[in-house]
Amino acid sequence: MASLESLTEDLLVRIYKGLASDGDRKSWRLVCRDFHRIDALTRSSLRVLRVEFLRSLLANYPRLDTLDLSVCPRIDDGAVAVLLTSRGSPWAFPRAASSSLSPPGRDPLAWTRGLRKLVLSRSTGLGHHGLEQVIRACAYLESVDVSHCCGFGDREAAALSCGARLREVKMDKCLGVTDVGLAKIAVGCGRLEKVSLKWCMEIGDLGVDLLCNKCVDLKFLDLSYLKVTNDSLRSIGSLPKLEVLALVGCSLIDDTGLQFLGGGCPLLRVIDMSRCNGISSCGLISVAKGHEDLVQLNASYSLTECSSILLRCFKDLKNLNAIKIDGARVSDSAFKALSNCTSLVEIGLGKCIGATNLGLMRLVSGCVNLRVLDLTCCHSITDAAIFAISDSCRNLTCLKLESCNMITEKSLYYLGSFCLLLEELDLTDCGGINDTGLEYLSNCLELSCLKLALCPTISDKGLGHIASKCRKICEIDLYRCNGIGDDALAALSSGCKKLRRLNLSYCSDVTDRGMEYLGQLEELWDLEMRSLFNVTGVGLMALAAGCKRLADLDMKYCENVDDSGFWALAYYARNLRQINLSHCNISNMGLCMVMSNLTRLQEAKLVHLNKVTVEGFELALRTCWVRIKKVKLLAALRFKLSSDVRETLHSRGCKIRWD
Amino acid sequence: MSSSPPPSSAAASPSCPKKMIALRSSDGETFEIEEAAALQSKTLENMIDEDCAGTPIPLPNVTGKILAKVVEFCSKHAEPGVDDESLRAWDAEFVNVEQATVFDYILAANFLEIPTLLNLTCNVVADMIRGKTPDEIRKFFNIKSIFSPEEEEEVRRENHWAFE
Repeated sequence: MASLESLTEDLLVRIYKGLASDGDRKSWRLVCRDFHRIDALTRSSLRVLRVEFLRSLLANYPRLDTLDLSVCPRIDDGAVAVLLTSRGSPWAFPRAASSSLSPPGRDPLAWTRGLRKLVLSRSTGLGHHGLEQVIRACAYLESVDVSHCCGFGDREAAALSCGARLREVKMDKCLGVTDVGLAKIAVGCGRLEKVSLKWCMEIGDLGVDLLCNKCVDLKFLDLSYLKVTNDSLRSIGSLPKLEVLALVGCSLIDDTGLQFLGGGCPLLRVIDMSRCNGISSCGLISVAKGHEDLVQLNASYSLTECSSILLRCFKDLKNLNAIKIDGARVSDSAFKALSNCTSLVEIGLGKCIGATNLGLMRLVSGCVNLRVLDLTCCHSITDAAIFAISDSCRNLTCLKLESCNMITEKSLYYLGSFCLLLEELDLTDCGGINDTGLEYLSNCLELSCLKLALCPTISDKGLGHIASKCRKICEIDLYRCNGIGDDALAALSSGCKKLRRLNLSYCSDVTDRGMEYLGQLEELWDLEMRSLFNVTGVGLMALAAGCKRLADLDMKYCENVDDSGFWALAYYARNLRQINLSHCNISNMGLCMVMSNLTRLQEAKLVHLNKVTVEGFELALRTCWVRIKKVKLLAALRFKLSSDVRETLHSRGCKIRWD
Repeated sequence: MSSSPPPSSAAASPSCPKKMIALRSSDGETFEIEEAAALQSKTLENMIDEDCAGTPIPLPNVTGKILAKVVEFCSKHAEPGVDDESLRAWDAEFVNVEQATVFDYILAANFLEIPTLLNLTCNVVADMIRGKTPDEIRKFFNIKSIFSPEEEEEVRRENHWAFE
């Protein structure tokens, strides 16, 4: 009789590959030795949480092609040196001789040859020496991400340029990199296909020109927020294979530059020119006329007006999938022109002046394939428009109606009747909706993200309807929903088991009882609970003990939580990565426990902790200075903290913000 | 697995009789299957192309009980004009059997190289595993080999703290 054990290894691998969730794969590897081995031989990607496990994990997983160290604290030159030494046992804990979990004799550096993608984002402790060592050791590396390593500069860029096989480099927010550094990368990594340099403000036209000259295979380029001018666009126009270009917030480019683009980059499909004050419809027309295969066009907050010639151009773009013209003035003729682009799947009309019911009805009569529609701050639309939208666009998955305060429960009735594929709905500040509306909305069983911030008219009853039917909910925003209390949380805890993100800030009716319900949500990962003054240490303890995956917690102004709660947090919330304790009544001891015990904590906001003395801060910061990456402190502390602490934090790459 | 040559285009008109292939199971039972259905199996496809499909093809790894169902599966999937949704429903019914039978299907689909059946059955087992704790998985599949206490502690520690 066949059993699971009669299957060969390759069949078990097939079954293992059918398990998509991390939880299932972890359960699998804990079942028996054979399953553990299958996991070790098949797993190709790892996100390491603690540096003490790193070496043994790398020795155990020979087929890794992706290594993510972005949430691993204490990644620095020393850690890299230890990783790359071939001597000594990689296993931190002595293993029984009979253990078959990891056969001896396997080369502990085999992982360097298999690695293709390395994520070192936010690894602020790493220096150019360590970076160069790891790039040189991983000779086949194709993709590296060092984004948000704000201290990185030209020396680190030079280290990256040692990766001759690199195809993808992400250096967003590496603030110290200049044209010199970029030039080194351009010369050293000739095969680059994807480069992201968002916020690297020191880079200018010179660097971009060299990059475009040397890396002719570039397919993806992100120069958002850089002070590049039209000259850069001339260089970019010469790139024959460019498909995706992002120039968000490039305020120095204008229509002349866009003309260069219009005549070049024959394969361009996606262009993002949002927040570029210098461009106008003219420039966009030259881009649109030159690229009939354009798929996505984002000009949010760049245009004041969409001229009729521009709109007529859109009709010729047969593959146009997504267009965003947020912030522009739109007329009825604009909607008529857009309605001719039946291929459109996503339209952004946030803050568009002149968006009326009639215009929208016209739009959706043509664009029936719409799935994503952003109508944020389109104040004049009413239920009639929503009826037209729901009736025409049955495939709607995402609808944003923030500040559309004329919308009532009737709109939710239409959505609940016609748009059954709806996954995301933003009703922030929609004062006209109520509990009955939420009852109608609960027919949308695919709903996963629901934003109800600033809706004082909804209560526990309405949320109860949603929680009982919409089982796929992952994210709910109830910021300042005064009508919400413990009963809503009871409903959520029993109905929405997949809830990951929750915002309860200023829902002051929530008490410890509500927190206990929240403790039953095992997937909860991000919780904002500002100013819940009815919650005490008892509540926080229940939350911490139950929500083991909690990584992000904002409890600013929760003044009635006492130390017993913070001790529980320090003990249970081992996965916490970011915390905001500002204005909480935590004591010296409590703060010390929290900062020292939570070994994954990387960002902390500790402003206005009235019960913590200077010595308390000193001690707390000393316990965590090896791994903390960002901390916000009261400005008055600046001159009271010892220079010892400040210097060490600075040398480890930790950013201190003084409030 | 050698790459198989493209299947012969057998556009049988209604008047021509459909070519049948004979298969013999490990316990001596013989089954007939249409050529079009047999082409779902890469193993059988290779044999047909190499013209070895004259006498009943012996399949020593598959019992009669399982072979009957595999023939049924291949015939259903070779039927023209069946829409996706009803085929999916039929598939769901097909694998609604006891555990041991699903494993027999997997082994047969592997031996006969039938990708559709192999994917279907492996996904069924993955579904059975989804959401279960390690203990529940062991009990459900009657798995006997386990870890030593130290090994289990180490794997548990890694699961909890080391990575995601």
